[in-house]
Amino acid sequence: MNNDKIDVLLVEDNPHDAEMTIRALAKVNLANKLHHVKDGVAALDFIFARGEYKERQIDNKPKIVLLDIKMPKVDGIEVLKQIKADEITRTIPVVIMTSSKEEQDIITSYNLGVNSYVVKPVDFAGFAKAVSELGFYWLITNQSAD
Amino acid sequence: MKHLFHQFSFGRLSIRQRMTFLICTLLLVSIIIYGYANYYSIKKASLIVGKERLTAISRQVNNTFSQSAQFLASASNAAAARKEVIQFLKSRGTLYRSETLDILGKLRRDSTWVWIGLLDSNKAPVIRTDHSIIAIKANIGDAISSARGSGDFSKMGKIYVQNGAVYFPIISAVNDDGKTIGYIVSWKSLLAGSKAVDQFSELVGARSTFYMGNTDGSLWTDLIKPLSQVPFTIKKMGEVLEYERPVDGEMMAMANGIPHTNWVLVVAFSEKSVLTGIKSFASWIIVAGVILMAAGFIAASVLSRNITKPLNLLTNAAANISRGNYSSQVMGDLDGSYELRKLASAFNIMVGEIDLMRNTLEKKVKERTAQLENVNKELEAFSYSVSHDLRTPLRAINGYSVMLSEDYEDKLDSDGKRMLKNIINNATMMGQLIDDLLSFSKLGRKELTLSVVDMQSLAEQVTDELLHNEPPGKYKIIIEALPPASADQGMMKQVLLNLISNAIKYSSKKPNPQIEVGFTDEAISTVYFVKDNGAGFNMAYADKLFGVFQRLHSLEDFEGSGVGLALVNRIILKHKGEIWAEGAENQGAVFYFRLPKNLNES
Repeated sequence: MNNDKIDVLLVEDNPHDAEMTIRALAKVNLANKLHHVKDGVAALDFIFARGEYKERQIDNKPKIVLLDIKMPKVDGIEVLKQIKADEITRTIPVVIMTSSKEEQDIITSYNLGVNSYVVKPVDFAGFAKAVSELGFYWLITNQSAD
Repeated sequence: MKHLFHQFSFGRLSIRQRMTFLICTLLLVSIIIYGYANYYSIKKASLIVGKERLTAISRQVNNTFSQSAQFLASASNAAAARKEVIQFLKSRGTLYRSETLDILGKLRRDSTWVWIGLLDSNKAPVIRTDHSIIAIKANIGDAISSARGSGDFSKMGKIYVQNGAVYFPIISAVNDDGKTIGYIVSWKSLLAGSKAVDQFSELVGARSTFYMGNTDGSLWTDLIKPLSQVPFTIKKMGEVLEYERPVDGEMMAMANGIPHTNWVLVVAFSEKSVLTGIKSFASWIIVAGVILMAAGFIAASVLSRNITKPLNLLTNAAANISRGNYSSQVMGDLDGSYELRKLASAFNIMVGEIDLMRNTLEKKVKERTAQLENVNKELEAFSYSVSHDLRTPLRAINGYSVMLSEDYEDKLDSDGKRMLKNIINNATMMGQLIDDLLSFSKLGRKELTLSVVDMQSLAEQVTDELLHNEPPGKYKIIIEALPPASADQGMMKQVLLNLISNAIKYSSKKPNPQIEVGFTDEAISTVYFVKDNGAGFNMAYADKLFGVFQRLHSLEDFEGSGVGLALVNRIILKHKGEIWAEGAENQGAVFYFRLPKNLNES
C-alpha cells in the first residue's frame, strides 16, 4: 500500500452495505479518497500502519473512519477502543455505522469516545441521506485536529 | 382524662387487664359476702350477750331494791309488834304515848322519811311523829287494802305522786290476838336525785337508764322525777323489748317486777353500747378487706402477667417473623401451664417449617431467576441478531432496488418500475415491523425511571415534531393545560407520540381534522385523553385495539404495523395505569389512559 492521502476509511464486512455507502458518498463527490477494509484486523493495521499497511506513516491519518460494529475476527467496538486509546490516533473522528439499535452498543461506543453513532436505515433513500450528510460534515465542515 | 373514661369498655382491655379486673371483682364480692355474714352473726351474738347482760343487770338491781324493801318492812313490822304500841292502841292513846312516839321516831333513818304515824283499825290517824312534815293526801285505805289483798303487809305500797315528788308507803299491821287493831304507816320519798342515779347508772354500766313504776302501770318515774309516759310497752316480764330513742337510736330494755313491792323496774340501754365490738369488727374487716384487695390485686397482676407473658413472647416472635426474622423462637420463660408450653412448641415447630420452606423457596427463586436471566440473555442475543441480521439483507434488497430504479430507469417500463417500487415499499415496511417488534419486546425488560413529566410541553413538542412536514393550519390542535405525571419521560413521549400520530393519521382524510389532548382530574389519578374526529372504529372491535399486530384498518387506507397501541398499552400497564378507547366509525376516536398520581418505584 502506498502512502496516498486517504480521507475516508470505510470498515465494513458486508459488500452490499459497502457498495451502498460508497455510492452515496460518490454521488456527492466524497468517495475519491476512500479506502475500504473488510474487517477489524485490517482496519487496525491500516490505522496503526502494521502488517499489510506497514509502509504507511502512522500520522498520515484519515479524516474520518466509518466503522461497522458487527464484523468477523475483531469487531468495531474493539477497533474503536484501540483507536481512542492511542495518543496519536485518538484525534481521528470515528463514526459508528450499524444496523443495530442495541442501547448497550450505543452507550459503550459513546463511553469509548465515538464521535457519531448512526443507525443505518433500511430504506435506501434514508441511508444515502445519512451517509452523505455525515460525509459533508466530517470531510468539509469539520476542522480536523491536524 | 375525660376521654379515658368516656371510651372505657371492657372489650377494649387486654387479656391481662381483664384477668386482673375479674380476679379483683371476685375477690371484692367474696370479701363483701364473707364480711357481711360475719358481721351479721357477730351482731346477733352481741345482741344475745346484750340480753344476758340486761337480764343480769335487771336481776341485780331488783335484788338490791328487794333487799332494801325487806329491810324497811322488817323494821316497820318489828315496831308494830312492840307491846307499847299495842298497849297504846288498846288504851286509845292514854298509855305509852311517849314510848310509842319514840318507837315510831326510830323508824326514821334520814330526811327521805316524810311522814311516820299510827292509824287505828278504821285507818284514821291516831298519832304521828314530829318529823311528819308533809300531809300526804293519798287514800291510805286503798294502800292498806292492796297490801292486805296480797296478804303480806311487808310489801311496799304503790308509789304516789304529790307536788312533783314521788313517795311510797311502808305499812305494817298492828295485831292483838290475831286481830288487826291499827297500822304503822311510813311515807318515804323515792327520788334519789340525778347525781345518785348517774352514779348508779355508771355502776351498772353500759349507759343504762332505769324506769320504775307501779305493777299496774299507773305511775312511772326515772328515779329523778315522775314521768307522764314511758317510750315502751311492757308485754312480758323478763323479755327483751326494743324501742327507738332520739339520740341513742335502737334501745334494748327489760322489765322485771321487784319482789316484796308493787313495783316494776325497767333497765334500758342503747344497743350501740353492746355493738361497739361489732363496730371495731366492721372497721377491722374494712382494713383487712383493703389489705386483702391490695394483695389480691398484686397477685392477680402477677398471675395475669405470668399467663400473658408467654402470649406476649409469642406475639413478639410472630411480629419478628413478619419482619423477616425467622430465627425468632420462643425460648425460656415458658415455665407456665402445659397448654402454653404446647402452644409455644407448636409455634416453634411452625417457625421452623416456615424457615425451611422460605429457604427452599429462596433457593428455588434464585434458580428460577438465574434461569430467567439466562433466557433474557438469550433473548437479548436473539434480538440483537434479529435487529442486525434481518435488517442487513433488507437494506440490501432496498438499496439494490433503488439502485436498479436509478441506474436502469430508461430500460424499465412502467410495470417494471411499479414492481420495483412495491419491492422497496415492502422491504421498508418489513424494516419498520422489525423495529417496532424489537422496541416492543425491549420494553418488557426495561425498568421505569420515574420523574415528574411535564405532559403538556411533551404533548406540544410531539405535536410539533409530527406536524413538521404538514402544511400549517391543516390540523386544528387543542392542547389543554395538562397536569404533570409521575412517569418515565421516554415512555410517556412514546405514548403521546403513538396516540397523537394515530390521531393525525386517522383524521388526515377529513376536511377539518381536529385533535384534542385533554385530561380529567381524579382523586388519586389523572386520566389523559387524545381525541380526534377521524376515521374512528367500531366499538365491537375495541378489545382488539391494543393487541400486537391487530389492525382495524387496511394498509391501503392507513399504513401501520399494528404494534403502536400494543406498545402504548404495555407502557401504561407498566405504570400501573389503564387504557381504553371510545369511538364510532367515521366519527372519531378518543383514547384515554389513567395514571396514578403517586407512583412508587416499587
